[in-house]
Amino acid sequence: MKRLSVVVAGTGQIRDVEIQPGTTAGDILNQLALKDYLLSKGPNDPFLAAAESVYDKVNDGEKIFASTKAEVGLRACA
Amino acid sequence: MRIKLITSRPAPASVRDLLSRMVRGRGPTEPVQRREIPYWQERGWNQSGNTYNGTYQTRYAAFWGEIIEHSATDIDFFLYQPSDEIRRCGHWACFQHRGSDWYLVHMGRRPKDVSSGMLAIERLITEAYES
Repeated sequence: MKRLSVVVAGTGQIRDVEIQPGTTAGDILNQLALKDYLLSKGPNDPFLAAAESVYDKVNDGEKIFASTKAEVGLRACA
Repeated sequence: MRIKLITSRPAPASVRDLLSRMVRGRGPTEPVQRREIPYWQERGWNQSGNTYNGTYQTRYAAFWGEIIEHSATDIDFFLYQPSDEIRRCGHWACFQHRGSDWYLVHMGRRPKDVSSGMLAIERLITEAYES
């Protein structure tokens, strides 16, 4: 088991969770009822895909961010 | 053999501290309260009305920014003096010049809060420097 602190970026609210091996980003977001959010370790790291296992990518006690989906110029520019 | 004490001096602070701990034992732990504040505030931005000012910060560079929150779903993100790395990245077309080296960053998928948009722009800056 690993403990994680999920920071909801917009409010700063911190939700503490415990995860087991194989827990995905989608599992965490569902558990916390954070619909339309994405998880990331911060601005220097990419978003974690919903089906991606989080367990291997975080350390025990680490803080990760949940932010609403946002992308620079996806439709108009990319 | 008799010893004559000529002078004395205090032990170094580190030694005194170590001895003091050995005598007293470990003191009680003091819990530190964690702050629950929005990301924009954690990053040191300031808010005045519906306008936020601060810097988009990444491990590579920081850029002065301004965010205007017209409504919960209508938020404009501005960035000042984008670097050559940003100008060369694939998203440069998403930057609209608004005069005096300020650029409006066009959001294809609009964030629902200021902090999420900031994270998106900081991620774009990181990608620009890593690509």
